[in-house]
Amino acid sequence: MKLLDMTRKYGNATYNYPFEPYKVPEGFRGKPAYDYEKCIGCTACAVACPSNAINVKLNEDKSKLVWEFNCARCIFCGRCDEVCPTNAVLLSDEFEMAVRFDKDNLKERGELDVECCQKCKNPFTTSKLISYDIERLKKAGWDEATLAEKTKYIRTCPECKKNIAVENSTQYFVRKRK
Amino acid sequence: MKKGDNFINKVKEKITVHDIERQTEDQVTITVDRNDLPEAVRMLYYDMGGWLSNMIPNDERQLNGNFALYYVISMEGGKMTPEDELPQEQKCWITVKTYIPANDPTFPSVTCKVPAAVWYEREAFDMFGLKAVGLPDPRRLVLSDDWPEGLHPLRKDAMDYRHRPDAVDHQDEPDYKFLEPSGSGVVDVPLGPLHITSDEPGHFRLYCDGDTIIDADFRLFYQHRGMEKLAENRMNYDQMGYLAERVCGICGYAHAIACIEAAERAVGIEVPLRAQAMRVICLEIERLHSHLLNIGLACEVTGNINAFMHIFRIREFTMELAQLVTGGRKTYGNVVMGGLRRDMSSAEIKKSLDLLVTIEQQLIEVWDAVMDDKAQVGRWKGVGILDRQVARDFSPVGPNVRGSGFARDSRHDHPYDFIDQLEFNVAVENGCDVYSRENVRYKELLESISIIRQCFEMMPGGQTIIKPQTMIKPGAFAIGNDEAPRGENVHWIMHGNAQKVYRWRCRAATYNNWSSLRYQFRGNTIADAALIVCSLDPCYSCTERVTVVDINSQKSKVLTHKDLKRYSQTLKNHPLKNM
Ligand code: SF4
Ligand code: SF4
Repeated sequence: MKLLDMTRKYGNATYNYPFEPYKVPEGFRGKPAYDYEKCIGCTACAVACPSNAINVKLNEDKSKLVWEFNCARCIFCGRCDEVCPTNAVLLSDEFEMAVRFDKDNLKERGELDVECCQKCKNPFTTSKLISYDIERLKKAGWDEATLAEKTKYIRTCPECKKNIAVENSTQYFVRKRK
Repeated sequence: MKKGDNFINKVKEKITVHDIERQTEDQVTITVDRNDLPEAVRMLYYDMGGWLSNMIPNDERQLNGNFALYYVISMEGGKMTPEDELPQEQKCWITVKTYIPANDPTFPSVTCKVPAAVWYEREAFDMFGLKAVGLPDPRRLVLSDDWPEGLHPLRKDAMDYRHRPDAVDHQDEPDYKFLEPSGSGVVDVPLGPLHITSDEPGHFRLYCDGDTIIDADFRLFYQHRGMEKLAENRMNYDQMGYLAERVCGICGYAHAIACIEAAERAVGIEVPLRAQAMRVICLEIERLHSHLLNIGLACEVTGNINAFMHIFRIREFTMELAQLVTGGRKTYGNVVMGGLRRDMSSAEIKKSLDLLVTIEQQLIEVWDAVMDDKAQVGRWKGVGILDRQVARDFSPVGPNVRGSGFARDSRHDHPYDFIDQLEFNVAVENGCDVYSRENVRYKELLESISIIRQCFEMMPGGQTIIKPQTMIKPGAFAIGNDEAPRGENVHWIMHGNAQKVYRWRCRAATYNNWSSLRYQFRGNTIADAALIVCSLDPCYSCTERVTVVDINSQKSKVLTHKDLKRYSQTLKNHPLKNM
């Protein structure tokens, strides 16, 4: 009998969901929301994501860098949010993610223009990342000459940078031996 | 003298100990000859008050040319009487290690001397092909019945983790041999193997004389997911914790903590105090919602749906608490090596404290009402007795063993994180029955609320995470433990190269509880079978389908899940009356 009295005392314990929204508290870790405008394609999020929900790679003809997020794999840990330098991914308070029939509907994509290496002409990163870096360098207050040199460096792909470095150091060794 | 040395000296009096390695202040590993293994384990277990907490077979052929076995024994006292407990400063983990040469993969079975080892040794054969000579029950445990003979998946050279052996046609599947008592009039009642309310399948055979169960056997591991193999091959430490979390949908956080703390202890990482306090809070929140679920189900299985609904109403508050503390309805996706990902704000702490008050008040109210109900209490009392000697032999854990009067609690015996700064009592009951186990759970709920409150009040400041610097030492290993809602989880990790684990052994609480379940069934009625399984809290409370075979008349009858549940709830119209 006591149980029945309690039922009367507390009344309805359920929400009228889905006809009335379920409010989550502030700081809830929901679906990562992606802001295409802000993303520079640095791939930090793809590296950090423990469940491989985010993939960033060149498309087949290497004309675009494709950012792809598969929400079905996401565990809402927030690593992507944490590492993104431009706040392009932020956890939202969205939790309603059921899709009908096709799990691909959970995928989100963004395509970014790529930039080719000054030396070997192969695509290696996005234009937005390069402009972001240059922007940051300008703010650091370098003089024109250094800035130009650094910009050149940024526009070279890692492979060519490596080769250049190796070339320079062999020169150094050769000279020393003489 | 360091922790554990007194025990090791006693072992040395009878047995040659080749090597002593210390992993942490309270974890020591001793190496003995494989022929001395059973005696060494028995001495530590029965003579010095140990309990078997884990056993890890390991393929170390790449490291030293041998297989190895590690029997992890928790030294805490036999606890058969209140005095029979070791003083707090002597409690520790002693691991007995032995090498097994690769060309002769056999070892003398420990099970003959310490019955608790039975499941571990059956698994050692399945996964590594290490044969325990003299093992009384050498049937398959983990691998499915149609898995190819001689393929032992956890051997490093056995197979690629993507390999899937060809499935055997349904009609050609080998039958599993259940242990059947013989005698006339014995009726075989299979429960399972499919199970619709929770996701865990298990197949029980109840052998009945009339309505009374005289023996039982079961087949589990229908859902073996090969996580240990997966972790060894592919995961880095960022991912390990999240994989461990997925061991269970209810108490996964406890697995993540045990796993990550094993990895942290192996290399001596100190976690910031604030993260320690929050880890304890999350573990206790998990206990809150898990125990409420179990008490609710114990009411539901016996037909008290009303109480079940009220308990679930309260359980919702605990989920909200989890949202405030971690930002997710479950506490998942938060643990990393070196701390925790997400911090709490003081506003969240304040709100949580308010929620705790509500939970406490309403919990006491509901429990009073349930206890007031003589019919409900009558269904729980005297059912599913876990005999004290059986408990001592099989090392069960959690509310299951505490309901039989043993004060075994990982938080008390091997305090982790922030726990040793808090005040709490170990909940113990002496009835050995379902009633005692549910009572233990209720008392623990109140203790958990008090622990969470203490943590919030003492919440240390500072960071929740340290920057872990090149931290992995290949070959280093350690135990990680915590008290999950269902009992002690013990994980064991050995670090490997390239930021990967060499071996991860995850021992969930219920693993230690299953082997004694058979004895708990004996002497009860079929109607209580579901309740007994439920009182172990193996995320398990009902069965889909029951076939009843009467050996005498050769008649059989199929009972549906509904029939059995209806009878379990109403105790009217016995479903076998007309057979
Ligand atoms: S929240 Fe975690 S799992 Fe989800 S996309 Fe971000 S990093 Fe990956
Ligand atoms: S980290 Fe941010 S900027 Fe970089 S790829 Fe991911 S979303 Fe884009």
